[in-house]
Amino acid sequence: MRKKGVIRRSHLLASLAIAVSCAITGMASADAPGLLPALKINKEKAELGKRLFFDKRLSGDAAISCATCHDPEKGYSTDKALSPGYPGNGHFRNSQGLINAAHKKTWLHDGRLGTNLNDVTREMLTEDYIMNMDMRIMQERVKQDPKYVEMFKAAGYGEPSNGSVRKAIPEYLKTLTSKGSAFDTGKMSDSAKAGQKVFNDKGCSSCHSGSMFSDGKAHNTGVPENFDVFLDPMNHQAFLAFTMFQGIPNFMNLKRDPGAAVQWKKADVSNYGTFMTPSLRELAQTAPYMHNGMIATLEEVVDFYNVGGGADSHKDAAMKPLNMKDQEKKDLVAFLQALSGDKLTGPEHVWKEAYPTEYPVIADWANQKN
Amino acid sequence: MSNLKRKFLPSLVATAVATGLVAGMTMTQAAEWTPPALAPLDTIKMPIPLDNKFTEAKVALGKLLFFDPRLGGDASVSCSSCHDPEQGWAWAEDFSRGYPGTTHWRNSQSIINSQYMDRQFWAGAAASGERQAPAAAKGGVAGNGENDIMEARLALIPEYVKQFNDVFGDEWPLIDNAWKAIAAYERTLVQTETPLDSYLKGDKSALSEEQVRGKAVYEGKGGCIQCHYGPLATGQEYLNVGVPPAKRWEEDGLAQITFRFEHYAKGQTEEGYRKAKSDWGLYYRTKNKWDKGKFRVPSLRYSKYTAPYMHNGSFFTLEEVVDFYNAGGKDEEGRTTPFTENMDKRIKPLGLSDDEKSDLVAFLEAFSGEEMITEKPRLPEYAPLFTKAELEEVKK
Repeated sequence: MRKKGVIRRSHLLASLAIAVSCAITGMASADAPGLLPALKINKEKAELGKRLFFDKRLSGDAAISCATCHDPEKGYSTDKALSPGYPGNGHFRNSQGLINAAHKKTWLHDGRLGTNLNDVTREMLTEDYIMNMDMRIMQERVKQDPKYVEMFKAAGYGEPSNGSVRKAIPEYLKTLTSKGSAFDTGKMSDSAKAGQKVFNDKGCSSCHSGSMFSDGKAHNTGVPENFDVFLDPMNHQAFLAFTMFQGIPNFMNLKRDPGAAVQWKKADVSNYGTFMTPSLRELAQTAPYMHNGMIATLEEVVDFYNVGGGADSHKDAAMKPLNMKDQEKKDLVAFLQALSGDKLTGPEHVWKEAYPTEYPVIADWANQKN
Repeated sequence: MSNLKRKFLPSLVATAVATGLVAGMTMTQAAEWTPPALAPLDTIKMPIPLDNKFTEAKVALGKLLFFDPRLGGDASVSCSSCHDPEQGWAWAEDFSRGYPGTTHWRNSQSIINSQYMDRQFWAGAAASGERQAPAAAKGGVAGNGENDIMEARLALIPEYVKQFNDVFGDEWPLIDNAWKAIAAYERTLVQTETPLDSYLKGDKSALSEEQVRGKAVYEGKGGCIQCHYGPLATGQEYLNVGVPPAKRWEEDGLAQITFRFEHYAKGQTEEGYRKAKSDWGLYYRTKNKWDKGKFRVPSLRYSKYTAPYMHNGSFFTLEEVVDFYNAGGKDEEGRTTPFTENMDKRIKPLGLSDDEKSDLVAFLEAFSGEEMITEKPRLPEYAPLFTKAELEEVKK
């Protein structure tokens, strides 16, 4: 369940928004991939968002920041199959890389948020198994740091508030856009070029379409369950808290991830195990792969698709054995790697300054307005 | 005074007062009212709610849960973290320690004898132990837990699944029943054997001569008995006795954060949020300006082990408390409540001599018996709900 101090949105509205955005993306899916559009960024707001993103004081017990699960060195994800989650519990899904998150229309592996990054930020901050932050406390923490007071003012937000925290972080996320990939710079190797042809001929592009290499829809590819979700009570408790809150029937006996079924719960559970097509950009930085981190390398991902994906009676009909030759597989991997660019680990993307170890006291407090 | 009447006049009279039929009589009644005498604690019965019957098995479960940090946000803070048996079942600092990354803004109250009280918390925000436990376990500067993750954790601890089933008939542990079990356990944390209880039951040797003299001050010149009366040594009224705002708010950034959060969270007005420089107490519940700075009169029982004192822990010793009342509700620097208009009229300089003060402090210690320590229980462990074989059998 979410912490207090947040605006709740009805799931119906969210689902509607997802449906609309899917429809839009669907129409555009025939588009050939190209450069991502440039985003207009407010420098002061993004700078503020950057400081917030790396600040552990934005979690309930001040032990983790956004960057704990979205590490710049790992393409703003982690190298573990499952995200660490909040102290005291684990998690049940792989942490998604955040590079190009601002170019998406729906977010999270199950696509349950289809509005904007403000809502995504809220969900990450306030969910009990993620950052467990009561945003009223967050607001007062931020107000206690003079550097923030100054930065909020410079950003045009006035007094720090939880509302503007949720605006500033998305502004920062806009700065995390792919840069320097061989695909974007037109410097693909011959093998990568051959791989692009395999990518198109073998049908990868039917779901991984457009400049984001994603159709923005949910599919069942039969990715095997990650049993660590259920065998490790730390992870399982996060899964239970999540499915309980999402209103998934019979969650105590559930032994599989319902995936995008949280958006639309079919009685016959035929849409269980569907997950949003992920973008293929920056893959080289974000191993392991799939919603639950079950596949360690790109070579293994290609092998997985080459045999037509995993076992599931509701697997997407498009999933068929591809009969790729070894050279085709190598070329395909080379193409996938060509979709990855520079690491975004410099000071323009990462807040490098230390945070104060204590909250400074407001002098002459008794005579100051709160 | 209205609180007094509501509690101690026969209900018929109280009704008449409330409807304003016999206003003249009210004054007479109030003037003639004398506080009930101190009495042994075992002259009253522990109230047991009808919907939370008392069983040994429930108490045993409640004890485990009281000490279990998994009933909190990051699984590091249990009830016993802020209500530590080694610290008087409270926390030996001015403010309670709070959730990691925070501090609380009020003094942690002892659990001992707490369940005799009509309401819980300093301003009576919770109507029962069953309501207090979740408010603390879920409060942002206390346990910071959420129902669903706490319930999920309980379901993954086989020993709890079994005990919740035995005690409550739950298929899977329900979080509301955790609070019931904790409240049931807390009802066992009582102290009926103190020097005062023995004395009041006829053992005149139970108090020293000094303490006997102190009792006379308590009931006479000190006037303590006017609010700290009866078996619990409190009439549970909400009073402003002049406790000054905590100095820590002027000196500690973390405390300043919590201070503002509390005003935000308790539904202050914008103006109140901007201007407040003290804990407004009962006001947050009633929103009456005459309730600003009022807190429930605490029991004096077990107070030997529960320093510091007052809702914000302003005073670290009983001597300081006595000095405060002797000065008419002012600390040693002359600081008092910002809401002097709400101060109880009975708080005035007492003119106690040094001997009277030390006799009184000696008597106050007679409200406490032996220190009550309990061994921390061994907590049951998590176990996976499914086997690998069960997971492998799933047909998708």
